[in-house]
Amino acid sequence: MFLRLVADSVTRRPRQKLLTTAALALGMAVATAALSVSLDVGDRLAREFRSLGANLLVTPQADSLPLEIGGVDYRPVNSGAYLPESDLPKLKTIFWRNNIVAFAPILEVSADFGVRGKQPADFAARGHVQLIGTWAAHSLPLSDGTVFMTGVGKTNPWWKVEGRWFAEDVNECVLGTTLSHRIDLGIGDKLYLHVPDPKKTVQLFTACSITGILSTGAGEDEAVLMSLAAVQQLGQEPAQYRRLYVSALTKPEDDFGRRDPRTMTPADLERWSCSPYVSSIAYSIKQVLPGADVRVIRRVAEGEGRILSSVRMLLWLVTFAALLAAALAVGASSAASVIERRTEIGLMKALGAGSGTVGFLLAAEQLLLAFVGGGLGYALGILLAHVVGEKIFGVAPEPSLMVLVVTIGLAAGVTLLGSAVPLRRASRYEPAPILRGE
Amino acid sequence: MPALLTTNRRMFWRIIRRLLGANRGRLFVILLALGAGAAVSAALLNLQVDAKRRLTKEFRALGANIVVAPRGTSASPDSPKVIGQPLFDQLPAENEASPVTKAEFLYGIVNVVPFDPKEKDAKSHDSARAVVAGFAIAVGSNYEGRGLEKIIPSTIVEAQNLDSLNVRTCEIGQNLASELHLHTGAGLTLKYGDRGAFCDVSAIRSFGGPEDSQVFLELPAVQALLNLPGRISLIQASVPGTPESVDRYIAALAKIVPDADVHGIRQFTEAEAKIYSRISGVLTATVAIVLLLTGLCVMAAMTNVAMERRNDVGLMKAIGGASRRVLRLFLVEAALLGLAGGLFGAAAGIALSIGLGRAVFGVAARPRLIVYPVSVVLTIIVAIAGAFPLRRLTSIRPASVFRGEA
Repeated sequence: MFLRLVADSVTRRPRQKLLTTAALALGMAVATAALSVSLDVGDRLAREFRSLGANLLVTPQADSLPLEIGGVDYRPVNSGAYLPESDLPKLKTIFWRNNIVAFAPILEVSADFGVRGKQPADFAARGHVQLIGTWAAHSLPLSDGTVFMTGVGKTNPWWKVEGRWFAEDVNECVLGTTLSHRIDLGIGDKLYLHVPDPKKTVQLFTACSITGILSTGAGEDEAVLMSLAAVQQLGQEPAQYRRLYVSALTKPEDDFGRRDPRTMTPADLERWSCSPYVSSIAYSIKQVLPGADVRVIRRVAEGEGRILSSVRMLLWLVTFAALLAAALAVGASSAASVIERRTEIGLMKALGAGSGTVGFLLAAEQLLLAFVGGGLGYALGILLAHVVGEKIFGVAPEPSLMVLVVTIGLAAGVTLLGSAVPLRRASRYEPAPILRGE
Repeated sequence: MPALLTTNRRMFWRIIRRLLGANRGRLFVILLALGAGAAVSAALLNLQVDAKRRLTKEFRALGANIVVAPRGTSASPDSPKVIGQPLFDQLPAENEASPVTKAEFLYGIVNVVPFDPKEKDAKSHDSARAVVAGFAIAVGSNYEGRGLEKIIPSTIVEAQNLDSLNVRTCEIGQNLASELHLHTGAGLTLKYGDRGAFCDVSAIRSFGGPEDSQVFLELPAVQALLNLPGRISLIQASVPGTPESVDRYIAALAKIVPDADVHGIRQFTEAEAKIYSRISGVLTATVAIVLLLTGLCVMAAMTNVAMERRNDVGLMKAIGGASRRVLRLFLVEAALLGLAGGLFGAAAGIALSIGLGRAVFGVAARPRLIVYPVSVVLTIIVAIAGAFPLRRLTSIRPASVFRGEA
C-alpha cells in the first residue's frame, strides 16, 4: 500500500512532479558543475601559474660569483665552472619527475659578429654580442625509453619569437629584437659569428641564417640565440652548460615546507620529501645533479604560492556559495511541493493515518525525487562543467565519482530538510477544516 | 472618468494584497528562493568586484612589474649608463587608488672585504668582486628605509637587528655570504678605486637570481662610493591594478620620462594578465549560473502558482477582466515579490561577502554601494522572468474552468 501510494502520487500529478524534479535537477547541476570545476581548478591553476616561468635555477657549485648587472655578466671570459649536459635526463628520474614541466640549459659566451655588406671580401659591420645557447624544442631521450620534449619556450613562456626557433642540427640562429633593429638584419639574412680564442691567430667566422626575431623585454633582446650544441662547439665547451632553468609544479610552501631538511627527523624528512614543495623538489634535483647548486627562484615561487593559496580559497568559497544557493532553491521548491498537498494530507489523516506515516510517505516521495533529480542534475552538471572548463581553461574537468556521491547526498539532504518544516506543520493539521476547504 | 480610474487602481492594489496574503506558505517559499538567489548573487557580485581588485593586489607578491632604465646598455662596468635621480619622484605615486611601491637602484662592481670586529688587526681574509646595489624604496610618496622584499621577493636566511648599534647596515645575498663565509653582524668594507665604504651585515637573503651575489646598501652611500651623486641605474616599480591599467600606467609614464626606457617585466605582466582573466572568468561564470538558477527556481514556483490560480483567473475573466489586465496583476505581484526578496536578500548577501572576503584575503571586502541596487534590480528581473509561466493564464477559457475541466 505504501509503495502504491508513492507510485500513485508520482504518476497522478506528473506535471507537478516534473517541475519539482526539474528544479532539483537544475540546482544539483549547478552544485555538480561548481564542485567539479573547483576540484579541478587547483591543478589547472597551478599549471596556469607555470606561465610565470621557471621556479628553480641550477648553477655549478664551484662557480665564481656572477657580476651581473641588467642581465649582462661582467665576469672575465673563461672564469667560472660548468655542468655536464649528460646528467640532464636524470632530472626525469627523481621522485617528483612528473611535476617537472620543463627545463632548459643555458650556455652563454661572448662572441664577435660580422655582417656582410655589398662587397663580398669584408664585413660591413662588426661588433660584440652575447651568444646564448639553449634548447628551443629539444627532444630528450630518457632512460625509460620515452622522449621528453622541452625547451626554453616552456620555461620562459613570455619569450615571443617572430618567425620560428632555430633547428638543432643546422646553423640557424634567432636574433634579439633590439639587436636586429640595431644591425638591420631580419629573418632570412645571414649573421657571421666567431668566439675569440687567444690560442688561435686566424679568426674563422661561422655563418648562421636567422630564422626568427626574439622579444623578451629583458637582456636577451640584445643577444643572439643558437642551439646549445652549436654554442658548445663555437665556445669549445663540449657537452657543458652554465645554468639550467627548471619549471616545476609545486604545492605552496607552508611553515612545514620552509623548514630546513637538515634539522628534520627521518619521519619528518620523509613527509617533507613526499610533498611537492618547491624546496623539496630542489633538494631531490640536487641529489641527481652532482656538483650543482639548486636554488629556488624566490620571486616566482613565493608569489605563486601566495596567490595560489588565496585563489584556491576564493574558489572554494564561491563553490560553497553556489552550493548554498542550490540548496536553498531546492529546499524552497520541495517545501512548495509539500505545502500544496494540504488537502491530501488532511484526507489521509481523516482516514486514520498517523502524522508519522504521513511524514514518512512524503519523505519517501521526496527522496525518490531527490535521487532522480540528483542523477539528472549530475549528468547536466557534468555537461555544464565541461562547457565552463573548456571555455575558461581550454580543458574540461574529469567527471569524478566523489562529486556524484556528494551531489546525490546533498540532493537527499536538502529535499528532506526543505520538506521538514512544512511536514512538521502538516502533522499539526486538523483534517476537518482542510477538508472543508478553509 | 477619473473617479473610475481611482476606483480601478484601488481595486487593483486590493487584489494584489489579497493575492499575496492568500497563501502564506507559498509566499514564504517564493520569497525564500528569491531572497536566497539575491543574497548569493549580491555576495558573489560584491566579492567579484572586490576579488578582482584584491587579486591584482595579491599579484604584487610577485614584486616589481615595471622597469625604468636608461636607453641602451653599457659596454663596460666602468662607464655605466645612468639616469638622473629626479626621475624617481616623477613616477605617479598611485594607480587605481592604491599606492605604487617603487625602488631606485644604483649598481657598481666593487671589492668586498670582510672584517671581523673581534679581530683588531685586519688579517688577510677572502675578498671578492661583487655587485653593490644602492637602493631606496618608496611606497606611494613616502620613503621607507626597508622593504626590499616588496620589490624583489626573497626569503631571509639569517637576520639580526642592528638598529641599536647605530651603524650603517647592509643586506647581502646568500651566494656572497657563503663565498666569504659571512654571517649577520659581520662588517664589510666595500672598495671602489681609492674610495671605501663600511657596513655591517644585518640580513642574508635568498633570492634565486643574480641578486644572490649582491650587496644591498642605502643609495646615498653607494652614490658617494661610486662617485655618481644624484644618479641611479634603474627604477623598479610594483604597480597595482588590472593588466589594462598597468599598461596605461606604463604608457603614461613613458610620456613623462621620454629619455628613459619604460617597460613592463613581461614575465610577470603576461602571466598576471593570463591568470587574472582565468580567475575572473570562473567568478563571472559562477555569478551567471547562480542567477540563472534563481530564475529557474522562481519559474518553477510560479508555475505552481499559475496552476492554482486557474479558478481566480477564470472568475476575473468571466466578470469582464481583460487578459492584459489580469496578466499585469500577476506581473506586478511577481515584481513586488522580487523587490521584497531582493531588498532583504541583497543586504544579507553583502553582509555575507564581507565575511567571505575576510576569510579569503584576511581583510573584509569593502561593500560596494552599486552592488545593492544592481542585485535588487536583477532579482526583480529574475522574478518577472520567472513569472513567464503565468502567461498561460491568459489563454484560460472561463467556461471550461467553471465546468471543472482540467
